Amino acid sequence: MNARALKRFFPGGRWAVIAVPFLWLLLFFAIPFLIVLKISFSRLAIAMPPYTPIVEYVDKALTLRLNLGNYVALFTDSQYVVAYLSSIRIAAVSTLLCLLIGYPMAYFIARMKPSTRNIALMAVVLPSWISFLLRVYAWVGILDANGILNRALMGLGVIDAPLRILYTPLAAYIGIVYCYLPFMVLPLYANLVKLDLRLLEAAYDLGAKPWQAFLRITLPLSRAGIVAGCMLVMIPAVGEFVIPEMLGGPDTLMIGRVLWGEFFNNRDWPAASAVAIVMLLLLMVPILVFNRYQQKEMEGRLT
Amino acid sequence: MNPTFGQRLLRWTVLALGYAFLYLPIVLLIVYSFNASRLATVWAGFSTKWYGELLRDRQILEAAWVSLRIAFWTATAATVIGTLGAMVMTRFHRFPGKTMFGALITAPLVMPEVIIGLSILLMLVSVGAAMGIPSKGMVAIWIAHVTLTVSFVTVVVSSRLQELDKSLEEAAMDLGANRLKVFFLITLPIIAPALVSGWLLAFTLSLDDVVIASFVAGPDSTTLPIKVFSSVRLGVSPKINALATLMIMAVSIAAIVGWWLMYREDRRRQLDMQLALQENG
Amino acid sequence: MAAINERANGFPAEAGSERYLRIEGVRKEFDGFVAVDDVSLDIRKGEIFALLGGSGSGKSTLLRCLAGFERPTKGKIVLDGEVMNDLPPYERPINMMFQSYALFPHMTVEQNIAFGLKQDGLAKDAIRRRVGEMLEMVQLEKLAKRKPHQLSGGQQQRVALARSLAKGPKLLLLDEPMGALDKKLRSRMQLELVNIIETSGVTCVMVTHDQEEAMTMATRIALIDQGWIQQVGTPDEIYEQPGNRFAAGFIGSVNLVEATIDEDEPDYVTLRTPAFDAPIHIGHGITGFEGQQVSFALRPEKLGIGKAEPEQPHNKAHGTIEDIAYFGSHSVYHVRLPSGIKLMANFTNQQRWASEGMTWGDQVWLWWGDNDGVVLTS
Repeated sequence: MNARALKRFFPGGRWAVIAVPFLWLLLFFAIPFLIVLKISFSRLAIAMPPYTPIVEYVDKALTLRLNLGNYVALFTDSQYVVAYLSSIRIAAVSTLLCLLIGYPMAYFIARMKPSTRNIALMAVVLPSWISFLLRVYAWVGILDANGILNRALMGLGVIDAPLRILYTPLAAYIGIVYCYLPFMVLPLYANLVKLDLRLLEAAYDLGAKPWQAFLRITLPLSRAGIVAGCMLVMIPAVGEFVIPEMLGGPDTLMIGRVLWGEFFNNRDWPAASAVAIVMLLLLMVPILVFNRYQQKEMEGRLT
Repeated sequence: MNPTFGQRLLRWTVLALGYAFLYLPIVLLIVYSFNASRLATVWAGFSTKWYGELLRDRQILEAAWVSLRIAFWTATAATVIGTLGAMVMTRFHRFPGKTMFGALITAPLVMPEVIIGLSILLMLVSVGAAMGIPSKGMVAIWIAHVTLTVSFVTVVVSSRLQELDKSLEEAAMDLGANRLKVFFLITLPIIAPALVSGWLLAFTLSLDDVVIASFVAGPDSTTLPIKVFSSVRLGVSPKINALATLMIMAVSIAAIVGWWLMYREDRRRQLDMQLALQENG
Repeated sequence: MAAINERANGFPAEAGSERYLRIEGVRKEFDGFVAVDDVSLDIRKGEIFALLGGSGSGKSTLLRCLAGFERPTKGKIVLDGEVMNDLPPYERPINMMFQSYALFPHMTVEQNIAFGLKQDGLAKDAIRRRVGEMLEMVQLEKLAKRKPHQLSGGQQQRVALARSLAKGPKLLLLDEPMGALDKKLRSRMQLELVNIIETSGVTCVMVTHDQEEAMTMATRIALIDQGWIQQVGTPDEIYEQPGNRFAAGFIGSVNLVEATIDEDEPDYVTLRTPAFDAPIHIGHGITGFEGQQVSFALRPEKLGIGKAEPEQPHNKAHGTIEDIAYFGSHSVYHVRLPSGIKLMANFTNQQRWASEGMTWGDQVWLWWGDNDGVVLTS
């Protein structure tokens, strides 16, 4: 390869394009995790920054002081364990509910005429363009003892006394499902809209009833969309803070609130870091699953 | 196969319920912003006084201005970086480290915000001084928001890039344009709508974020969501309803305008194509 | 590879024009899969050269190597004395017309055609003039300001052609030029395209799977299958003198029977075959030996068909009409012989209702001349 060819092919240019997003994310997304890991081994201190150093170099002696106390507390203090389990449970149930509501919606929208389809999809996505925070806030007013829901039910004579929904885990479920529904519908829709209707026609032609065709053709083919949607809902839901904080009560334990509490209330950065690391580890497998799916989606037909 | 009446009924019931679920809270937000009473749950007559109070609240207005500025710069930076990322994912064939690159690009899409917020703060506290970045403040929020939103832009833009016929770019190269020119003269103009979508998405995400901003905001960089959050923790406030209504209106107008523009463009294309077919050249 | 016929088709032989484009030992592998297998071709200046093959034959890969979108794993591509291998597509004096036309949707017809000229840094007037010439050449002057989606398929094709010729390239590449058009438009455009190309005098390599297209448009054809060249020649050479079974079977219809060489003389050859009772008599010598197994290829239009037995002692067969395919201008009779072989024979319907009363189930005789068939050894 002569020099002229080298210059023309711009290997430098190509690497610059890769470098910009890569370096940014490496520096501000990946490396910070390492720093969190480091601080999770530290100890709370009245200092700025409020944690003890891990590595000390005193009198020509290099000491590595790894404080495992934070992690020990996480595994022994029942409150933490319960919070982790509770987070997973709440996230899982919410994901399931999102799937039960979102799949039919995505399915029917995907079957519409192309002209109406786009509007219908936009209508699903539009609410998420309005502030997430404000939408959660809306539910506070609805679920309150004096809120719309209770007043409507009492007015209709369905119940006598107001239901206590606000500040209970149930409210958190409702909030999560409400806010994350579009995230379930979108990947499902993207998958279902690519379904070749002729496959179903072939099935009907061969004698399958609609529900049979659905179970044995549509459902399996939409598996990738289901996985993506579930991951997109469940993973961030595990670490949710705003929804359980605003809608849930003191018994709505979620690990996001624990982290927040450790950091903002206790000012215990090392403890917060440990909570974060364990959360990351818990979510590692689902994140990898999602990552593999998403990469394939983005690369498309590129080999 | 035409859907039976039963199937159609099912379809419309599901969709009606679904949309009602999605939109009812929003409608209620708007309705109660006009409630004369402070109690957002008891209707006491129509009033616009909360809007007046909202517009007189200096703190909220300042926070809004901070948020808008951060959102603007976040969206702009995220669009640039995200588009580069999308080009790499869809146009660059295998290179060493592409899997790691892909992982870096997709992970932020699902990472819980508390983790992102905490990690960036700790990072800035540890090494920010060396880089000349204060650990709290507008720059810190901007960095954190860009990190959060880049992946979303990449997803939106890659989707469009995939649909783009590769032979268009090849034709441009064949006619004498090098890769850089191809990108600016051919690729970019064609995918421009996706870039706009990505920009808007990043803008919205940044404008709306409370968790991450709470970690890295400084005393003079309170964002609107932080203000709203602290306000609603104390209970329901119709002023917030008024704010919500204004935002809903802004988004709706933008959505309608956007949709109408696309519709008009589409119709024009259809007519053009029909015209061409009729002429049958 | 097959010898290149020396007939220059009326072109004055300039020095170097015989080997204007040299493809030398080009090989392209994808992850162990060999798409192009040591292909060497010499293409003359000004000719229209077709690469004809089925899908997966490697023809598109070879074309892309010429354009610069793929780099050959081995081998050289030399155009007008200059090696192309290391040049990126935007530096080669080669332009391509894509199968999908690849017209830039956000630019007008004029801007599309001007694009390449702008990349060369030409002055505005020069560009405008040249674009005007191109529009005239393809007769689209009135549509200059339109955008691609406002044009019909045929018009789009002409724009694509004008765009690829605007820079006066040394080599024009066509990728399935008629692929996107419907049948009626195809025949008309084939001739129009050839006219424009010949008028401009540019050397052209086209890739197609449609044999009719290749036969109509090209001055020479290379049959390509599984990555390597089966035969190179003019259309009539390939048709009348296929070099092997593949070539014989690929173009047009053919009757192929297995036979053994009975007598191998310098001026005639006799073949024996279980397919026919009578021997096959070839009126010239071939390279072979007695006892050799060969294939005998006979085009359906070379067979005579009738009820009466022909007088010649050889080159005839007798059988029952099993099928008749009516094509309007001619009919193809499928005749089943006692040996089980089926032969196809064309019958031109020169006179209306003139098929001599031959119908299904009839016993007929087929015959052919001494030089009507081709002996294939591979």
